[in-house]
Amino acid sequence: MIIKLSQRLLGPVTLVSLALTLWLGLWVTPPDKVQGNLVRLLYVHPGIAWVALYVSFGTSVIASCLYLWKRTRSVVMDRVAHCAMEVSAIFLALTLVTGSIWGRPTWGVWWAWDARLTSTAILLVFALGYLALRRANDDPELCARRSAVFAIIAAINVPIDHFSVDWWHTLHQGATVFNEDGNFLVHGSMLWTLFLSLFAFTMLFFWLLRERYRLEVRRDAAYAATLDEALDQRRREGVH
Amino acid sequence: MSDAEGSLDLSPVAAPPTKRRGKWRSIGVLVVLALAVLALLSQGLLHSLNYFETIDQAMNSRAKLGTQTFRLEGIVKPHTIQRTSKGASFWITGGDKKVFVSATGSPPQLFQANIPVVVEGHFTSETSDKFVATQILVKHTASYIAAHPKRVKAPNGSVR
Repeated sequence: MIIKLSQRLLGPVTLVSLALTLWLGLWVTPPDKVQGNLVRLLYVHPGIAWVALYVSFGTSVIASCLYLWKRTRSVVMDRVAHCAMEVSAIFLALTLVTGSIWGRPTWGVWWAWDARLTSTAILLVFALGYLALRRANDDPELCARRSAVFAIIAAINVPIDHFSVDWWHTLHQGATVFNEDGNFLVHGSMLWTLFLSLFAFTMLFFWLLRERYRLEVRRDAAYAATLDEALDQRRREGVH
Repeated sequence: MSDAEGSLDLSPVAAPPTKRRGKWRSIGVLVVLALAVLALLSQGLLHSLNYFETIDQAMNSRAKLGTQTFRLEGIVKPHTIQRTSKGASFWITGGDKKVFVSATGSPPQLFQANIPVVVEGHFTSETSDKFVATQILVKHTASYIAAHPKRVKAPNGSVR
């Protein structure tokens, strides 16, 4: 009952929270003292990066671990890992694009080879590599096992990416919310809108994941049906 | 067994070599991946994980740095910015040290007093505190403070 209700509400909640973020971010919240209206990207870029690095990549890695563990091994875990990594690749690309759009007027350059930006780009390469690895094998079980191992190895880069701004000197600023001091470095309504954007993009991820998962199930069913049909045809050919 | 299945040719046939082909494809993907990661790392991180040196670090290794090009970080000292025909000149501070920067090119949109900047260039000599920069980058802090342009300023200029 609760699961069905939450499934029905996922789409509407995502759309409403995204619309609310847009309204608050563009019209209600004040401009920043230094950045002016450039601050409005604060309600887009961190939300996308949050989903890309932690939510979707994390989901894929957890599902990969559960696939490799014999007790929980199932095609469901493999599908979740695959679908979440696809969403992660898209969100990682969007993280780099929105970061560049913010970086040009703020830093003065579209791109800088600092530790944060480079490790994020490497994470995108890892995500694309994972997807390429899945297509490299025709054996579904072998493909699932290899890609699960790869996802777990690639996850080493996530903490490197997160802590890069603390460990090294980077052009990218330090953490505004999840920092070492635990202080939120954002004023009033800007902070709540930032939190709302994190929630909205997280909901968007789960919505996209669900739709992508359904598509994968249909694709597998269509493939199985094609195989059955081919076998039937072969049998019929044998009769004549 | 039915008649239909009985009439089928069930003689063994060689299975397509999917595993071996898959193995080579996987190795190919991993090689391309390793090259892509190396290419990204070679753009900067293999040289140094730090994007810039602080003023303290630069001043402490002045002899080693000499007149070689590197990136230097500091905060723009108020009332020192002067626009020049080629760009801008200003002082940057870090800790208790300061460096005079003469930069060419147009500064970024957010360039102003009291903002952290990263300048790329070199010292004019091994003992000089004058830094010739070819690029100014603004390093924004992690703080976001709401601007209240409509609020009344106090006599001392502060806004609450």
